[in-house]
Amino acid sequence: MTAFIDARTLPSGTVLEPDLAIIGGGPAGISLALALASTKLNILLLESGGLNFDPASQKMYAGSQSGLSYIALDAGRLRYLGGGTNHWGGWCRPMDEVDFEARPWLPHSGWPFPRKALEPYYPRAQALVEAGPWIYDQKGDTENAAEGSVLPLGKGGLYTSWFQFSKMRGDVLPTQFGKRYEAELKRATNIKPLLHANITAIRLSPDARRVEKLEGATLGSNGGAGNRFTVKPRFVVLAAGGMENARLLLASNDVMKTGVGNQNDLVGRFFADNPVPRDVATVVSFAGPLAPFYGSNQTLNDGAIMRATFAPTAAFCRSAQVLGSLSTIEQPVELDETGKAAVITTAIALGVDASNAKARSLGCGMELAPDPDRRLVLTDEKDALGLPRLKLNMRIADEDFARYRRTLVELGRQLLATRTGMLRIDKKNRDDWMKTMDWGHHHLGTTRMHADPKQGVVDADGLVHGLGNLYIAGSSTFPSYSASNPTLNLIALTLRLADHLKKVVA
Amino acid sequence: MKRRTLIAGVTAAGAAVAAGLYRFTDLFVKHYPPTPYDDVLAALVDREEAARLGALVSDAAAPDVLAARLRTALKPNGLAGAVGSDIAAGRLTEVEGWVVPQSVALLSALAAKV
Repeated sequence: MTAFIDARTLPSGTVLEPDLAIIGGGPAGISLALALASTKLNILLLESGGLNFDPASQKMYAGSQSGLSYIALDAGRLRYLGGGTNHWGGWCRPMDEVDFEARPWLPHSGWPFPRKALEPYYPRAQALVEAGPWIYDQKGDTENAAEGSVLPLGKGGLYTSWFQFSKMRGDVLPTQFGKRYEAELKRATNIKPLLHANITAIRLSPDARRVEKLEGATLGSNGGAGNRFTVKPRFVVLAAGGMENARLLLASNDVMKTGVGNQNDLVGRFFADNPVPRDVATVVSFAGPLAPFYGSNQTLNDGAIMRATFAPTAAFCRSAQVLGSLSTIEQPVELDETGKAAVITTAIALGVDASNAKARSLGCGMELAPDPDRRLVLTDEKDALGLPRLKLNMRIADEDFARYRRTLVELGRQLLATRTGMLRIDKKNRDDWMKTMDWGHHHLGTTRMHADPKQGVVDADGLVHGLGNLYIAGSSTFPSYSASNPTLNLIALTLRLADHLKKVVA
Repeated sequence: MKRRTLIAGVTAAGAAVAAGLYRFTDLFVKHYPPTPYDDVLAALVDREEAARLGALVSDAAAPDVLAARLRTALKPNGLAGAVGSDIAAGRLTEVEGWVVPQSVALLSALAAKV
């Protein structure tokens, strides 16, 4: 068993020479390390934080913003072992086939491979997030039949899809990778987890073809740098999250003056999150309450935790030119006089009885269109270890809202067509949308994947274009984003990278 | 009392009772002053609720125009048919955000205007 090493106990000037250095101990870094645990590779897992939250370490995430109001840069992520899984909600859903497609009407869309390439990795990813048996989509309808019927939506643009949830332990939050996999990481004899180990620079060979070394430092008790150490790995995987991946590449600018992998000015661009606007619509069910799985999580006998959501079909996404969205039933709503008039008049016209009608609000997780000007840049301000802090320029296009609005209209049409209910769109303009805006805290897209170096930072294997031994793991490589929560998907992508590394590094 | 006065009094009282009874039935069946659009408005079961909704239809045309459009829409299969066609063809109107079939919006707007 390998104990975790506290980098603060290393003699200053220590040089470590692993086969593979993984920068970041979040879900990507831990999943990658565990996937390579059975190999002969000597792996160093570098985590900047410790086993628990530390304000001094967290403060290194602080940054500034311009444009649209967004969450503080140090609020949506956590800098200790387990990373974002230390505060995630456990929502899981695989991305859809259409999410991977290049859509002519959506600039910058298209992954370099189809969903089929990720499918072999989803079962293991599902096991790592502890979300139970794989029963997304139609299988969920039958599994949940005992709880009630799925709302018939007929032929149309939306259907009832399913979220599954990472396992809860009593009141404890879903699977936190640091705590959950601490023992397994310690058991793996080829993995050396190094805590409190901040990487401050990626140093390239003079010809800018390879990473020669990583410069590391710990936080000292005086608030500045403590020990300094060097890592000389054969291969590196950067898995520090959607913001930190870009920051470290941009800040490492001694050989490549615009930053590592930034020869085409793409690093930090295309930042995205999933907007989560609340109370986007009111859904009326003429026959009374909807089945309970629409409004809250249901635990099935086999341990799966599920919740229904309305998702657009691939055909509707293509024909109506809409992006991903996952709309969920939320709180009960009392109808006003106009609402009652709308329900009575429409129900009579449809020839249905609405005397037991019930109304609920609808919430949503949306997908944004890729936007190169929604980006992270470095500022002159430095953190405790001298790394430049980030500034985010946040934007949402009016078309992003318009696309989701078209999806809501189609849901309303389907409710009318099946004579099961109707819908009110509660957002009239941009201000309305922004008033109830929340975010998924999903940091996506800043080191996007594309086969063409002019359009992507990494290739289809996650290798940084132009370099021979630097890979990137995580949702920062997503070229388009989907509305599905990223954790399950980024883990599947990381497991695919692990398979690639087994061949390449060995 | 003269016979003529008695007859006049009884007639007036009868008329008053009849008028009262007519109003009383309003509790069950609403009575509205006649309009040139009654053939169209007859499709509404609850004209008051429809009028409440219809008052919020933005940019509604004049009653004559609305009625003409509705006559065309309702002619083949009545309101149910018109509503079904609207939904299938995606002819939907948002009224204060409520997504309703176009025929329902037009009919409600007409109810609000008469």
